[in-house]
Amino acid sequence: MNTTLHFQDADLFYEQLLDAHQGLSKEQSDLLNARLILLLANQVGDAQVLRACIEAAKDIPK
Amino acid sequence: MPQTISPAREPQASAGYAAATFTNGYEFTQGSGYTLPEYPFTEPPELATGQHARHPVVIVGGGITGLTLACALAQLGVAAVLLDEDNTVGVKGASSRGICYTQKSLEIFHRLGVYERIAAKGIQWSVGRTFAGEDEVYSFDLRQQSAYNLSSQPPFINIQQFYIEGFLVERIYELGHVDLRWQSRVSAFEQDAGGAVLTVETPAGSYRLEADHVVDATGSHSPFRRWCKASVTAKKGDDRWCIADVRFTKRPPTERHTWIEAPFNDNRAVWQHLMGDEVWRIDYQMAPDADPAYVSREDVVRERLARQFGPDAGVEIVWVGPYAYRSECIDQMRHGRVFFMGDSAKVVSPFGARGGNTGIADADNLAWKLAAVLRGQAAPALLDSYHQERHEAAQQNVLVTNRTARFLRPADGVERLFRQAAIGLAKQHPFARQFVNTGRMAVANPYTRSRTCGSTGGLSVQNVSFEWADGSPGVVNDLLQWAGGHLLLLVFGDPGATAMRRLRALAGGAPVRCVQVLGADDRAAAREHVRDRHGHLRGACHVFRHAWALVRPDSYVAATGEDIDASLVRAIEKSLGADQEAA
Repeated sequence: MNTTLHFQDADLFYEQLLDAHQGLSKEQSDLLNARLILLLANQVGDAQVLRACIEAAKDIPK
Repeated sequence: MPQTISPAREPQASAGYAAATFTNGYEFTQGSGYTLPEYPFTEPPELATGQHARHPVVIVGGGITGLTLACALAQLGVAAVLLDEDNTVGVKGASSRGICYTQKSLEIFHRLGVYERIAAKGIQWSVGRTFAGEDEVYSFDLRQQSAYNLSSQPPFINIQQFYIEGFLVERIYELGHVDLRWQSRVSAFEQDAGGAVLTVETPAGSYRLEADHVVDATGSHSPFRRWCKASVTAKKGDDRWCIADVRFTKRPPTERHTWIEAPFNDNRAVWQHLMGDEVWRIDYQMAPDADPAYVSREDVVRERLARQFGPDAGVEIVWVGPYAYRSECIDQMRHGRVFFMGDSAKVVSPFGARGGNTGIADADNLAWKLAAVLRGQAAPALLDSYHQERHEAAQQNVLVTNRTARFLRPADGVERLFRQAAIGLAKQHPFARQFVNTGRMAVANPYTRSRTCGSTGGLSVQNVSFEWADGSPGVVNDLLQWAGGHLLLLVFGDPGATAMRRLRALAGGAPVRCVQVLGADDRAAAREHVRDRHGHLRGACHVFRHAWALVRPDSYVAATGEDIDASLVRAIEKSLGADQEAA
């Protein structure tokens, strides 16, 4: 899993992500996120990296 | 075999013997049913003459698993007794259970001599369509896929389970060696170092049966689990289904249709597929925790069918059966003298046909091992590999089936959200179809934990074709038949004169039969040779270039290697459990 910066333009992606959710209900927003996760996961493909990403997402200290 | 549909018979009442109850969880059944063959009860020698022989193998349960084992033992010339509490195949009034038999199972049935009858009676289809709501999510045509096309058997055949059971019974009668004892219910069991004793109830009275090895193929309500104090890992769900086997006057297309969300079934799942006798199986997913008695009531079933096929489809109900899907896996498949197999060992939801097909594979796995040990050609430790290999398969099948069950009955909230996301994407993007899990077809499970398989072994060998020395066509099963329950050593290419001498010495002393496998241009160095012009046999054995493959009677590779030396001798010993004797 790559945890160093890999984005060509992180600010642009973050803005696009927020824009995509503009005006959506909670339900529509949740569904958009779910579709996005599945699309992005397919770009990664590698089973070990995906597992590491899920673990890292679960493992954020409070 | 019966081909007509006729009213179900009344259960027979005979004095002193309780009629068989439904034992597979199909407590509520309706419909006209099938007419099943009946087999005669014959008074066993234990009752007729008071003779008490000690039987090397007793199989309890004459379902598809027990009968496959019995037939495989008969084929190998091993004497066995099979006890079945009923006098027919199927379960009375609930005779329609499994319907889909995979390539590995068909290859096993080919070896047992019943494949041609199954192929003639069964149905093959190649087009499958999956729907969500009104939309088709995707479709496929198996004829466009090549993974299975080298075997002499197709990827699968749909046929009612009781037909296969009936063919096996007739084949066993033909082969001999196995004593089929109908209307014989086991009511008690005990075992110790000296042997096993079963108490058997029959219409002519009860008797005690002594055995060295007992196979429990009684199914999901096995009493042996209790008698052996076997622990089981289980998971209960709230998913409920109701099956309707029907015939139409206006028949639908011969395609498998799967609805993840069927508008005509309150947006729950529906399966629709054809089997023998023009009978269609329609599986309806019911509301969680639905009442089985209600959902299988005839008027309720008719109403459901009318919603799907229209009021004038001319539907004849052959059989209806509701059931609750669950998963169970026994923790040890061997308890002393008892071997658990089929549904006795593990129960899964039917997705992917991982129930019956793995029972068939359980039986095929144990048959040759029992034969080899009883003949004194293998060490008793070989029998422990049954658990190592088939428990790995059982756990894998439970895992894979539970994943399907979770897709089809997602928990409310985020699980349902991800399913909605996956279905939405699948309509546009090919990658997302892989998430749409309506069942993953059973496979010949690989064995990675077996003490009797080498690191490159434990893989199934497809029933591919080659040419005999005289140019006539043959298949792997012919070679296994020729090996007659011995290990089959295939030597690919020309290993040289020294290696050939070692092979001849080896073949003289071990329960192994050797065959040289020639490529298109190789010259024969051994008397026993076949030609593998297209490399299919080599591919099926998972080897490259000059190599040997040690193939077991269940058509699994035990080990492969390159040199004809001590490593081959060790592989043979290991595959027969002989290396574990000193331990």
